[in-house]
Amino acid sequence: MSLKPADLWRTNSSRLLLIFGALFALWCAALIGVIQWNTTRYLSNIVDLKLDNLQRYFTTLDRERLREAIKATEAFDLRDVLSHGVFDRNGKLLMGNLASIPPELPLDGAVHLLTDGVQRTSGYHAQRARGIAVYLTSGELLVLVRDTSVIDAVGAIIWRAMLFGLPLIVVPGLIGALLLSRGPRRRVQAIEAAVQPIMRGDLRRRLPVSGHGDELDLLAGIVNTMLVEIERLMGEVKGVCDNIAHDLRTPLTRLRAQLHRLQLETPADDTRAALIERTIGDADALLDRFRALLRISELEDMHRRAGFAEVDLVATLKHVREIYAPLAEDKQIEFALETPTKVPAVRGDPHLVFEALSNLVDNAIKFTPPQGTVRVHTTLDANGPRIDVIDNGPGIRACDRGAVVQRFYRGGTQPAEHGQGLGLAIVAAIVKLHSFGLEIGEGDGAGAKVSLMCWPPVDKAA
Amino acid sequence: MPRVLTIEDDTVTAREIVAELTRRGLAVDWADNGRVGFERARDGDYDAITLDRMLPELDGLVLVTRLREAGVQTPVLMISALSDVDERVRGLRAGGDDYLTKPFSPDEMAARVEVLLRRHARTERDTMLRVADLELDLIGRIARRGGVALELLPTEFRLLEFLVRQVGQVVTRTMIFEAVWGYHFDPGTNVIEVHIGRLRKKIDAPGAAPLIRTVRGSGYVLEAG
Repeated sequence: MSLKPADLWRTNSSRLLLIFGALFALWCAALIGVIQWNTTRYLSNIVDLKLDNLQRYFTTLDRERLREAIKATEAFDLRDVLSHGVFDRNGKLLMGNLASIPPELPLDGAVHLLTDGVQRTSGYHAQRARGIAVYLTSGELLVLVRDTSVIDAVGAIIWRAMLFGLPLIVVPGLIGALLLSRGPRRRVQAIEAAVQPIMRGDLRRRLPVSGHGDELDLLAGIVNTMLVEIERLMGEVKGVCDNIAHDLRTPLTRLRAQLHRLQLETPADDTRAALIERTIGDADALLDRFRALLRISELEDMHRRAGFAEVDLVATLKHVREIYAPLAEDKQIEFALETPTKVPAVRGDPHLVFEALSNLVDNAIKFTPPQGTVRVHTTLDANGPRIDVIDNGPGIRACDRGAVVQRFYRGGTQPAEHGQGLGLAIVAAIVKLHSFGLEIGEGDGAGAKVSLMCWPPVDKAA
Repeated sequence: MPRVLTIEDDTVTAREIVAELTRRGLAVDWADNGRVGFERARDGDYDAITLDRMLPELDGLVLVTRLREAGVQTPVLMISALSDVDERVRGLRAGGDDYLTKPFSPDEMAARVEVLLRRHARTERDTMLRVADLELDLIGRIARRGGVALELLPTEFRLLEFLVRQVGQVVTRTMIFEAVWGYHFDPGTNVIEVHIGRLRKKIDAPGAAPLIRTVRGSGYVLEAG
C-alpha cells in the first residue's frame, strides 16, 4: 500500500500537529493584537496628554500671546502633525491653519478621535487624528488637532510583523506534520499487514513492535499478549479435541473389527445376520462421518502444509473431468470443462485442491436433474485463476449461502440421502488452508455457481 | 505361506488384525512394542509388516526409518491413530509403503496387506497378465477377452490392470481411487461404481460370465472364474 498525501493528513500525529499549529497561530495573533492595542493606547494617551497640556497652556494666554504661541508651535511642528484654529462664536476662523471646526469633534474640552481627518486652510488633511475643542474665556473656540500617523505606523508595523510571521509558523508546521505522520503511518501499515494472516486464522503471528515504547508499541504489546493467550486457549481446546479424537480412534477400530468377526462367525441363514449387517452399515457410516470431521479439523489447523507444491490447475481439472464426466453421462447431464490452455500454477497441496474441485463437481452433478448441464469455467483474474462450477440445478438460496459451508448443513430442499452434509465444509476448510476464496452465487437459470478464487480473499470489513 | 508381522500395542486391535489375516491364509506374528517389533522385522524373514504409528519404546516412524537404513525392504502398511493429512506424507516419506488411518475396517486392512504381498512377490516386471479368458498386454496397453480386443480408455485399462493384479482379492473403493487415480480420500460410492459399471459393460460380452463382482459393504473383486 502506498503512502497517499490524503492518508497522511488523516493520521493522529498530523491532526494533533495541525490543531496545535492552528492554536499556536491563533495565540500568536492574539498576542500581537494585544501588543498592538496596548501600544496604540499608550501612544494615544501620550498624544492626548500633549494636546491637553497645549490647550491648558493656550487657554492661559491673551489673544496676542496666543497668536505668537500658535506661530511658535507651527515653527516647531516640523512633521506637520499639528492643526489648530481659533474660531469666533459663528465658527469663523480667527487664526490658525484649520479651515473649519471638524464636524465630528464634540466641543466638550475632551480629546476625541477624528477618523475623517480635518480641513486645513491649505487643503484637506485626510490623516486620522485626535482633537480637542475648548472655549476660551473670550468665548472663542480653540481647536487643537494632532494627527496619529505615528500611532498608525506603529500599528501597521506590528500587523505586518504578524502577517509575515504567520506563514513562518504555519508552513514549517504543515511540513513537520507531513513528515512526522509518515513514521506512524508506516508502522500502522506494518501492523495492518501483520494482522491479515491473523484474521485468516494464523494465530502464531504477532504484531510488530518497534521498541520505541510509544503508544503504538503499547497497543501492539497488549494485542500480542491477547494473541498469546488466545493461541494458548485454542491450543488447549484443540489438544482436548485431538485427545478425544485419538482416544476414539482405537475403540472405534475395535468396534468395527469385532463386528466384522461377529459377522464372519454368524451363519448366513441366522436371523441375526441381517441385523449384524445393518449394524456394520451404520458403524461404517459413523466411521465415515468421524473421519470426515477429523479431516476438516486437521485441515482447519493452519500448520498442516507439508504437501504444498506448485499445482497445475489445467491438469487437475482434466483429471476431475476424467473421473466425473462418466458420472454426469450416466445421469444424462452435459459436463463441460471451459479452461484456457495455460493457467499459472498456484501454490497448494495438489491432492487437496483436487479434492476441493472434486467435491464441487460431485455436488453439482448430484443436485442437477437429468438433461441438465454442469460447467467448470476457468478465468484468469488480475489476482489469479478463478474456477466457477456452474450448474442449472435447484441452486442455493441466498439465505443459505453462508450456511452451506458449515458442517452437517443441508439445504432444506435437499433429500437426506445426498451425503453427510460435509462436502462443502471440507471444501471450505481446504480453501481456508490455502488462503483462497470461496464464493457461492447464482448459476445458469436458477442453478448454483460456486467459485474458487485462487488468491487470498479481501476482507470486506477492511 | 506368506508371513506377516503385526506390530501393534493395543491388544484387542492386534487380536483382530491377526485373526483377519490368519483367516485369509497368512502366518502372522505379533509384537506389542516398537523395540521388539524392530528386532523381529529386521531379523525375521517377513513378507509384509503392519505397523502401528504410535508404539511404546520405539515410535513407528523411527522404526520404519531404521528398517530402511538397515536395508530391510519388507513392505510396510502403517496404521495410525494420528491425523492423516500430513501424517500420511510423513509416514510414506519415512519408508512406509501404504498408510491406513484408524478407525479402519478389517477388510480394508487385509486387502491392503494382500496388495503389498502381491507387489512384493513380483520380482520381475510383468508384460502380460492373464485371468481366465482375459488378457492384458501391459506393453501395448491392449486388453483382450476371449481373444477379442476390448476398446478401453487409458483409465479403464489402469482400473482393469489393478483389479487383475489383485485377482480374487476384495479391493475397497478407496484403494481403487488411490491406485488408479492416485488420490487419498474417499470419493464416495457413486464415482467408483460408475467407472466399474462402464468397465463391466466393456469387458463382459452379453452372455459371458461377469468378471467383476461387487462385495456389498466392502468393495469389488475380480474373480478368476
